[in-house]
Amino acid sequence: MAGLAAPWLSSCAGAPEDDASTGASGGSGGGGGGDLTVYWNAGHAYAAYDKVIAEFQEEHGVTVNMQKYQWDDLRTRLLSDLASGNPPDLVEESGGWVQEFATTGDALSLQEYVDADGEEMGFPEDWQPKTISRNSYEGEVYGIQLHLTCTMLLYNRAMLDAAGVEVPTTWDDFLDAATRLTGDGVYGFALNQDRSYSWPWLLQNGVRYYDPDGGDLLVPRDKAIEALQFQADLVHRHQVAPVPTPGTDYSGPQKLLSAGRAAMILTGPWDLAPIQQTSPDLNLGVAPALANDVQATVQAGTSVFIPRKAKNPDLAWDFIKRITALDVEKAATEEAGMLMPRLSWAEDPVVQENERYAAFAEGFAYAVDYTEDLRLTGKSGEINEQLYNTLYQDVVMNNTPAETAVDTFVTEARKVLDA
Amino acid sequence: MHIRPVSPARVAGYALLTVVCALTVVPLLYMGTLSLQTEAETLAADPVLWPESPQFGNYVELFERAPFGNFIVNSLIVAGGITVAHLVFDPLVGYVFAKFRFPLRNTLFVALLATLMIPLFVRMIPLYVMMSNLGWLNSYQALIVPFLMDAFGIFLMRQFIQPIPDDLIQAARIDGASELRIYARVILPQVKPALAVLGLFTFVFQWNEFLWPLVATTTEEMRTIPVGLTLFNQEYFTLWHLTAAGSVILFVPTVLLFLFSQRYFVRGITLSGLK
Amino acid sequence: MSAATTTAPSPSEAPPLRPRGPFRRSLNRRYVITAYLFLLPAFAFFGLMFYLPIGNVIANSFNTGPQADVYAGLENYRRALDDSAVHNSFTVTVVFGAATTIGAIVLGLGLAMVLNQRLRGRVVFRAMLLVPYLTSVAIIGLLWRNILDPQLGILNRVLSDLGLPTQTWLNTHPLATIIAVTLWMNVGYTMVLFLAGLQGIPEEFYEAATVDGAGPWQRFWRITLPLLTPTTLFVSVMAVISGLQAFGQAYIITGGGPADRTDLYIFHVFNVAFTSRDFGYASALSFLLFLVIVLFTVVQLRLGRRGEVQY
Repeated sequence: MAGLAAPWLSSCAGAPEDDASTGASGGSGGGGGGDLTVYWNAGHAYAAYDKVIAEFQEEHGVTVNMQKYQWDDLRTRLLSDLASGNPPDLVEESGGWVQEFATTGDALSLQEYVDADGEEMGFPEDWQPKTISRNSYEGEVYGIQLHLTCTMLLYNRAMLDAAGVEVPTTWDDFLDAATRLTGDGVYGFALNQDRSYSWPWLLQNGVRYYDPDGGDLLVPRDKAIEALQFQADLVHRHQVAPVPTPGTDYSGPQKLLSAGRAAMILTGPWDLAPIQQTSPDLNLGVAPALANDVQATVQAGTSVFIPRKAKNPDLAWDFIKRITALDVEKAATEEAGMLMPRLSWAEDPVVQENERYAAFAEGFAYAVDYTEDLRLTGKSGEINEQLYNTLYQDVVMNNTPAETAVDTFVTEARKVLDA
Repeated sequence: MHIRPVSPARVAGYALLTVVCALTVVPLLYMGTLSLQTEAETLAADPVLWPESPQFGNYVELFERAPFGNFIVNSLIVAGGITVAHLVFDPLVGYVFAKFRFPLRNTLFVALLATLMIPLFVRMIPLYVMMSNLGWLNSYQALIVPFLMDAFGIFLMRQFIQPIPDDLIQAARIDGASELRIYARVILPQVKPALAVLGLFTFVFQWNEFLWPLVATTTEEMRTIPVGLTLFNQEYFTLWHLTAAGSVILFVPTVLLFLFSQRYFVRGITLSGLK
Repeated sequence: MSAATTTAPSPSEAPPLRPRGPFRRSLNRRYVITAYLFLLPAFAFFGLMFYLPIGNVIANSFNTGPQADVYAGLENYRRALDDSAVHNSFTVTVVFGAATTIGAIVLGLGLAMVLNQRLRGRVVFRAMLLVPYLTSVAIIGLLWRNILDPQLGILNRVLSDLGLPTQTWLNTHPLATIIAVTLWMNVGYTMVLFLAGLQGIPEEFYEAATVDGAGPWQRFWRITLPLLTPTTLFVSVMAVISGLQAFGQAYIITGGGPADRTDLYIFHVFNVAFTSRDFGYASALSFLLFLVIVLFTVVQLRLGRRGEVQY
């Protein structure tokens, strides 16, 4: 596909195809010395990043074309670009895409850049250790963690106090607390309709998504069934949580908590700001993850990577270095409450002096990237986002026995793995 | 003119219509009130029916947060351009299928309808590569040219041209009129209601199109309104006050176009007897 | 119908929809050439923008891999036959397509008949009914989700304020719910098409029938319905084509859930293509649906032609 017009070529038909000099392919709108095309999540357009962009443009004499999308749209766009050989220079990804695109040969290995600049930027020493492996493939680094989050137990402190309930630490405590908090238009707990929120429970029961050695899914099986059934029972048997509504929105539990209609929810730091905004008086507590067999929770957060066919990889790398600097991380936290992957960030007063951020940062120690093994099979899209989604909703919404639903899931997922 | 007697069915019809129309419009009014709520009101778990004080500033904020003026202009150019093209090309092709006899006509017609049976996203990537090779990405031609005509419009026009008596055409031919002249002077005036419908529906469809403008534009300034509206979603929740305000704006041109075009297709039976 | 039988056309040369008029007796070479000249630019356009990409889709359906560049023979088709998620989404989609098609025709025609009369305020009624169609499925979807959500929606808020029982339709009747929302959105559109079709029926026909003593029902069955056949055929063909390819309702309102109960076929294919990045399989699945829609369409076109002959 060499010689294709770059996607950011200006709107004039038949514009000369010029991909010779670095980023000098006629900026959109005709200005500047060139473009660095960046795909970004529309929810992450922080002023702290605008400042970095302004400095970057100034220093390099280029225009940064920040294209902001929702995740689904960003992915649609990116796959079209990859198919046509026209990818952007830098991509923010929603977690898990780095290895996916590394396996398919669409992502650029950053190892050479890391070897040259790692020490200066503190990579990998200053990053939470678990963020390195999820962005590596066959021993080379392909992506740099940008944000780091995990799922914790958020609760309405006033409600727990009024009911005389201690913050739960085990499943038994939790069920007891939820039962006592339920009543009078209030649910003890609210489950999310999205499948990923089921994984803290599975992880706490010691379940692995995929075992690369045995090639088996959801092991140990009985523990997986127990964890899924526990969630369904909260809804259907104990009735301490409403039936989650299917959809594409993650904010249901957060809204119920904010409105004082749910006492506890599982969520990440992204819900802190909306809660603060809609219910500034809510006395919000952030509890450590529960433990059944082990204490565990889900690790999430975005990374950035450079497509292999990017026109300006050097510029993109420089952009990565700037946008992941400690000062920028701190500014984004102060501005938007986003949590960050640097170890020095977690120790910074900005974090330590904020009870909620600090509570999340402590979770990083036992948060797990649960899909990593599955991702490396290259079948995660079908198994996790389609089959597991059906499994989870079938159990918690349709009240299908977890054992039956898990059997169906495993049969179908095996077919996918064997294909 | 004759006036029908008032019947019980008519009264029942009135009542039913009022209920149906209420069911249709009330949900949309809710969008209107959402667009006037504060962000906190739209995010609240106990939904708010009417804002405490209407936030007309939401509409201003749209333009401050994003190049919303660009979005509107782009949408107007793209949807308008495509609509004009359809009004020119679709009736012509529809006329040929309705009134000419030629070998393979039915096969070709099914082949034409077949273009509607593969969803855009499936053939989007080849189309995208083509636009990219032409150097057209992020341009109006990339947004317009792939949609210059479509089988929907051709089929619609064929169906409405078919009932026109052949004698009219034959008479014009005997008078020595050229085929294009027959089309313009005999056929088109007969199908004004269908043209109004075609123009309206083409505009509505293109005005709301999302996927292609998402893929074919590469700068924020070139986005159309539906794509631009996604900027008002956060990662985990929607900024409903802005999305609703944008949606209300999205309504304005299509409603205006409907009000303009409806007189062509809803004159009522008493007038149609006069032609 | 004498004109249609005198020409003895080949089987593929079925008579046109309104078989009358002088120049259908034989294929006049001059008109054949004119027709092809008119069609040439159109098919050049469709060739470039549709058939070429569709050919690409068909070629891809024999490939596999993230770039769909590894030849796999018939593997994708074999897989589709054995894929219970695909079977489920096909069933869901056929139910959805049938319900939205029949509903749109019955309701759209009914409303058009009513609003084609000289009712006071009919322009306002017509406008109100069409308004939902004037915006996008995405916005309608978001709006209805905000209304219907059992916990957070405005509908249950209003119902409980009025002391009425609340609903959980998105959980208990998800498919019926998205069918209802789709009809809510599209009924005005079919109504407008039928209104336009009704304009073409000359008033004299009704007057003559009334003189002959035909009541309203007889007038409907003997005049309106047969003379509306071109419009009805158009509406039903288009409703099947778009109903079987519906996408936004699942994408925006239910996400295909709960579990896979609203996993519309094309939504499923979209996920195969863009979530799983399996363009080869997605192409095969699209092509299979394509064949089904072609079949439905050809059958409808033939039935439509037969319907014409009745009067």
